[in-house]
Amino acid sequence: MDKKTVTTIAYLSRLAIDPKNEDKITKDLENIIKFVDQLDSVDTNGISVLTNPLEKTAKTRDDKVTAKNRKDTFLERAPESNEDYFLVPRVVE
Amino acid sequence: MSIQFKTIKDLLTMLKNKDISNKELVKDTYSLIKSNVHLNAFVTLNEEMSLKKAEELDKNKSSGNLAGIPIAQKDLFCTKDLRTTCGSKMLSNFIPPYSATVIENLENAGCISIGKTNMDEFAMGSSNETSFYGNVANPWGSNLVPGGSSGGSAAAVAAGIVSAATGTDTGGSIRQPASLCGITGLKPTYGRISRWGMIAFASSLDQAGPMARTAEDCAIMLNEMCSHDLRDTTSLDEEIPDFTSDLSTSIKGLKIGIVKEFDLSMLDNSVAQVFEESKKHYESLGAEFVEISLPNISLSVPTYYVVAPAECSSNLSRFDGVKFGKRCENPQNLEDLYIRTRSEGFGDEVKRRILIGSYVLSAGFYDAYYKKAQQVRRLIKNDFDNAFKKVDTIMTPTTRGAAFSSGSKGDDPIQMYLEDLFTIPANLAGLPALSIPNGMVDGKPIGLQLIGNFLQESKLLQIAHNFQISSDWHLKTPSGDIN
Repeated sequence: MDKKTVTTIAYLSRLAIDPKNEDKITKDLENIIKFVDQLDSVDTNGISVLTNPLEKTAKTRDDKVTAKNRKDTFLERAPESNEDYFLVPRVVE
Repeated sequence: MSIQFKTIKDLLTMLKNKDISNKELVKDTYSLIKSNVHLNAFVTLNEEMSLKKAEELDKNKSSGNLAGIPIAQKDLFCTKDLRTTCGSKMLSNFIPPYSATVIENLENAGCISIGKTNMDEFAMGSSNETSFYGNVANPWGSNLVPGGSSGGSAAAVAAGIVSAATGTDTGGSIRQPASLCGITGLKPTYGRISRWGMIAFASSLDQAGPMARTAEDCAIMLNEMCSHDLRDTTSLDEEIPDFTSDLSTSIKGLKIGIVKEFDLSMLDNSVAQVFEESKKHYESLGAEFVEISLPNISLSVPTYYVVAPAECSSNLSRFDGVKFGKRCENPQNLEDLYIRTRSEGFGDEVKRRILIGSYVLSAGFYDAYYKKAQQVRRLIKNDFDNAFKKVDTIMTPTTRGAAFSSGSKGDDPIQMYLEDLFTIPANLAGLPALSIPNGMVDGKPIGLQLIGNFLQESKLLQIAHNFQISSDWHLKTPSGDIN
């Protein structure tokens, strides 16, 4: 873990790192990664992954429309919107 | 008659006998909230609506099993038209358009959602020191942490403000604060309670549960919280028993597993002693102890700190300043909007976990970390499957010690992560587990953890209730002056 890696993953996470904290964050992340490196000691050859403790296939429900149009309810919670859309700064000049 | 430190069962009797009206109960609850404001246990109160509901209940009797009972709701559950912050600046203006299934279920049973409790930001923390809304104090001592992340809920119950509260538990966030505050808390089997309307942290680990003064009250709460919910694909379609029906059944002949790999000599002498005394207590109730082996258990915390951040980084990508929550001022372009909104809206611990998650999920490291951790997670679950062939429950301390002072874990995140050493394994395996008060260390409460096999909440509650009807640790109340 070095500052360059931290800068890359911060960008992937769309987070800005305060230059004042860069050293501390790099050191913390390095320590955490060292800590989880203990997992290397285990032989996991042929062991299947466990992604969810239930391991059941999600049940499907009848393919019927149940949602109501609540456009106004949701748009009014947006930081910026017009009658139909969420608004963000212009993307295409 | 004071309502402080009353159980749900007590309050239901008081309401039934008309010792108190619904409105008086709600008013007295708000008086207790106000006289305990130094705890900072609540982020948002729901006073007007609660009084209105109580007045309605006084006029028209409700048949709900929890009619009129004030409940504190963790601020992680969406509550319709009531601000829901998840302890974050990011959601400081968020008014949900719907309620979580758990909230709906409790309110349909007649509960009054009295307010939203403080918590570690997005449930990431074990001391309630990461909330944007300030630290929560432990009712046992104002300089002590209440544990986390459900610290506000635990403090509200421990201070006797409410008889019960909701919590959520991803790596110990119900059981660890229950232990540090001297109350009872249950994390049910993964899938037992719907996660719909819970703000997600790590979806394969998160589970809601009750926090109360007694195992019996947890059973009463659980009866109302569980449901099969089509809106949550991981919601279990299993029979939901009456969790109160077997509480008093004797536990004679019960086999309790003690984990060989947990070396209790690494704990404080007094903590190990409290644990030994609880073993003797259970022996006197007719239980037998069996040593079991969970060979991979020491890998639980490192496994968790790959799986949970990975799921967190994915779940928290929704907070982008576009559809709801905070947005930065004057964004220059779309990317600036995302980056500044997230950098300003999240606190340090949340950012740290997002960064770890992005790292372990990134192309070059996915197999080495994320896939590896999921394989070790399988080994940990297999260990439990084998152990439960021999025993009915597994007993451990809930925490390594009693409540610590605010700020005392210093700057090292790993020291804080190890706080959940005993609680994380049950989340990884999806198993139910609870914590009950079982002794005092230096005048502070401490908890005992019981882990059960899949869907064995009734048995866990029975084992806990048998302890509580023959001991008085759960009846201790804080004097608020311990350091």
